[in-house]
Amino acid sequence: MWMTLQPVLGEIILAITASQFMLLTGLSKSKKRPDLIRLMAVVGLLAFAFVGFVTDRNVTETFGGAFINDDFARYVKLIIGLAGAAAIVLSRNYLRSERLDQYEFSVLLVYAVLGMGIMVSSNDLLTLYIGVEMQALALYVLAAFNRDSLRASEAGLKYFVLGALSSGILLYGASLIYGYSGSLRFDGIALALQGDYGPGLVGGMIFLLCGLAFKISAAPFHMWTPDVYEGAPTPVTGFFAGAPKLAAIALIARVLYEPFGDLAEGWTLALMVFAGLSMVVGALGGLMQTNIKRLMAYSSITNMGYALVPLTAGTLAGVAGMLTFMTIYVVTVIGVFACILQMRIRNGIVEQISDLSGLAETNKGLAITLTVMMVSLIGIPPFAGFWGKWFAFGPAIGAGHYFIVVLALVASVVGAFYYLRIIRLMWFAEANEGFVAAPRIERSFSLVSAVLLLAMGILPFITYPGLNLIRDAASSLFG
Amino acid sequence: MLPVLSFYLISSVAIAAAFMVVASRNPVHSVMFLILTFFSAAGLFVLMGAEFLALLLVMVYVGAVAVLFLFVVMMLDVDFSEMKRGFFSYFPMGGVVAVILLMELIVIGGSYFADSEVTPEPRADGLSNIEAFGNVLFTDYAFFFEASGLILLIAMIGAIVLTLRHRTGVRRQDITKQVSRTRKDGVELVEIESGAGTGE
Amino acid sequence: MTIGLTEYLTVAAIIFVIGTFGIFVNRKNVIIIMMCIELLLLAVNINFVAFATHMGDMAGQIFAMFVLTVAAAEAAVGLAILVVYFRNRGDIAVEDINLMKG
Repeated sequence: MWMTLQPVLGEIILAITASQFMLLTGLSKSKKRPDLIRLMAVVGLLAFAFVGFVTDRNVTETFGGAFINDDFARYVKLIIGLAGAAAIVLSRNYLRSERLDQYEFSVLLVYAVLGMGIMVSSNDLLTLYIGVEMQALALYVLAAFNRDSLRASEAGLKYFVLGALSSGILLYGASLIYGYSGSLRFDGIALALQGDYGPGLVGGMIFLLCGLAFKISAAPFHMWTPDVYEGAPTPVTGFFAGAPKLAAIALIARVLYEPFGDLAEGWTLALMVFAGLSMVVGALGGLMQTNIKRLMAYSSITNMGYALVPLTAGTLAGVAGMLTFMTIYVVTVIGVFACILQMRIRNGIVEQISDLSGLAETNKGLAITLTVMMVSLIGIPPFAGFWGKWFAFGPAIGAGHYFIVVLALVASVVGAFYYLRIIRLMWFAEANEGFVAAPRIERSFSLVSAVLLLAMGILPFITYPGLNLIRDAASSLFG
Repeated sequence: MLPVLSFYLISSVAIAAAFMVVASRNPVHSVMFLILTFFSAAGLFVLMGAEFLALLLVMVYVGAVAVLFLFVVMMLDVDFSEMKRGFFSYFPMGGVVAVILLMELIVIGGSYFADSEVTPEPRADGLSNIEAFGNVLFTDYAFFFEASGLILLIAMIGAIVLTLRHRTGVRRQDITKQVSRTRKDGVELVEIESGAGTGE
Repeated sequence: MTIGLTEYLTVAAIIFVIGTFGIFVNRKNVIIIMMCIELLLLAVNINFVAFATHMGDMAGQIFAMFVLTVAAAEAAVGLAILVVYFRNRGDIAVEDINLMKG
C-alpha cells in the first residue's frame, strides 16, 4: 500500500486538501472563510512542492507504471507548487478590491496545480490526457472568473474553444500512437519504435506535439495568448504565464525524450519550427503593445520559443538548460506580475504601459524592482536572465544548431526594445499621478523576486545546489 | 453479410448527420443531428463489440450532453438567422483544407492496416464486455477512475461558480428557522382594556 | 467480405475532418463550434475502439470511456462560460470577438 501510494503522495495531499478541507470549510459562514481557505491552499501546495524530497527517491513508478515520480517530476513539481502558492497569496488583495473574493478561486487553482502534477508525472498516454484536461478545465474557469466582466468572459470563451480544439488534436494523435504501437505506456511506445513501425506513429507524434504546443502558446498556436492574458484577472494571468507553461514544456520534454527518443530527427525539426516562429511572432508582436498584460503575453510567447531552443539539442544539457531557463523565467514572471498588481490609482487598477510614465519620481522602489525584472528579461549580466539564456542556447550550439541560436539572439535584441521602452518611460518621462501605496504582500513579492534574480546571477552558493538539482532532474530522463 | 451492410448503412448515416451538424441553419436542428451522429456511432461501437461503450455513449451524450446543448440553445435568445452569414465565404478555403487534411489522415491512418480485420471475438476467459470493463476499471485503472471523478468535480464547481447568482431580496424557505420557531416568537398576547383601543 | 480497420479509421477520419471544418467555417456561432468539438472527440473514440477491438486489448476501450467522461465535463464548463458570456454581451458571435486576432 505505502509503496503504491508513495509516488502519488503529493497529488493525494492536494486532492484531499482541495476536496475535503477547502470545500468543507467553504460551507462555513464565517467572515474569515476566504482567508482560512487560502491558508489551507498554501499549506497544501507547499507540502506538494516539498513532499517529493522527503519520500524515498528510489521508488518512482506506481499504478502499473502509469505514473512516475522521478527526479525530473519532483523538481518540476517543486517549482509549480511554489508558483501556485505565490499566485494564491498574490491574489488576495486583488480579489478583495475587485469584489471577487470567492473561495472557489483557491480551490480551482489547487486543482489546476494537481492537474499539472499529474501531467509532469505521466508515463502513459491516459495519464497525460487526464492531467492535461484537469488543469485545462480549472484554468478555463479561472480565466472567466470575473464573470461580470465582458473581457474576462470573452477570455474564458476564447481559451475554452481553442483549448478544447487542441485537446481534440492531441487525442487524435494519442489514438494513432495507441493503434500503431499497441500500447498506451511510454515504454511500450519506445519498444514499438525499435521495430518496424508504420507512418501513424510519426503522424500521431506530430498531432500530439501540436496539441501540447497550444498549451505552451508556441506559435503558430499562440492566437489565444494576448486576449486571454489581457482579459483574465491579473493574478490568474500571472499564474498562466508561469506554472502551466512549465508543466506543459516539461511534458513535451518527457514525451519527446522518453517514448519518442528514436524519432529525434523528426521532432528536432518540428521543435525548431515552433521555436523560430514563436520567437519571431513574440518579438515583433510585442513592439506595438500599449497594455502591459498584452505585452507580457507576447513576452511569454518569445520566452517559450527560447525554452524550446535547448530541447532541440536532444541532450542532457539541453533538458537541464530548459529547466534552468524556465525556473528563472517563472521567478521573473511572478515578480513582474507582483509589480503589475501594484499599478493602482485612486479610481482602480490601471494596465496601460503609459501609466508607468515617470514612475521613478513617484515610486522609486517599484521603479527599481521593475527595472531589475526588465533588465533580467533582456538578458543583461549579472542578472539571472542572462544565465537562463546562456544555459538555454549553449546546448543548441553544442548540437550544431547555429541558425536557431542566431535567430534567438536576433529576437532577444528586437525584444529588448520593448523592455527598454518601459525602462525609459519609467526613468525619463514626465511623471503621472502616482500609484496609491501598495499592500505589503505585493511589495515583498516583487522585492524578493528582484533580489533572487540578482542573487541567482552572482552568488554561487545559491546557484550550484540549484544547478545540481536540475542536473539530477534532467538525467532521470536519460535513465 | 449483415455486418457489412449495417456498417455501410450506419457509417453513412453518421457521416451525413455529422455534416448536417455543421451545415444546418438552425442550431436546434444541429443538436438533433448531433444526437443522430451519436446514435450511429453507438451502432458502430456495437458492431465492434464494445456494447458497454455504446450504452454509455447513448446515455451520456444523448441523455445529458445533447440535452444540455438543447437547453442552452433555447435559453440563449439569439437571432440565429444572422449567424449563418459568412458561412459560404469561408466555405471554399475550409473545404480545400478539409480535403487535404482528410487525405493525410487516411494515408497515415488507414492504409497501413490494409488487410486487418475488426471483428469482435469472444474473450478467451468468457467474460462479457461489461464484466471485462469492470474487472480492469476498478483495479488497473483505479487511479484514472479517481482522477476523472476529480475532473467531474472541477466541472461542477466551475459551472456553479460561473453561473449561480445569489439574488438579494428573494424569499427562500429556511427549514431550521421554521422548525425552531416557537409559539413565544410568533404570537404576542396583548391585553387591551376595553374602550382604550389599540393606542393608534 | 469483411469490414477492416481501414474502413473504421476512414469513418473516424471523415468525422474528425468535418468537425475541424465546422470550427473554421462556423466562425459566428459558438454553440456549433462546441458541437464540432464533440464531433472531434467522437471521431477519436471510434479510432480507439477500432484499434482496441483489432488488437483484442481492453486499454483502448477504457481510454474511450475516459474521453467520454472528460468530454461531458468539458461540455458543462464550456456551456457555463458561454452562458456567462451571453449574459455580459447579449449575443454569441465569435467573429466579432476576433478569434484569430494576433
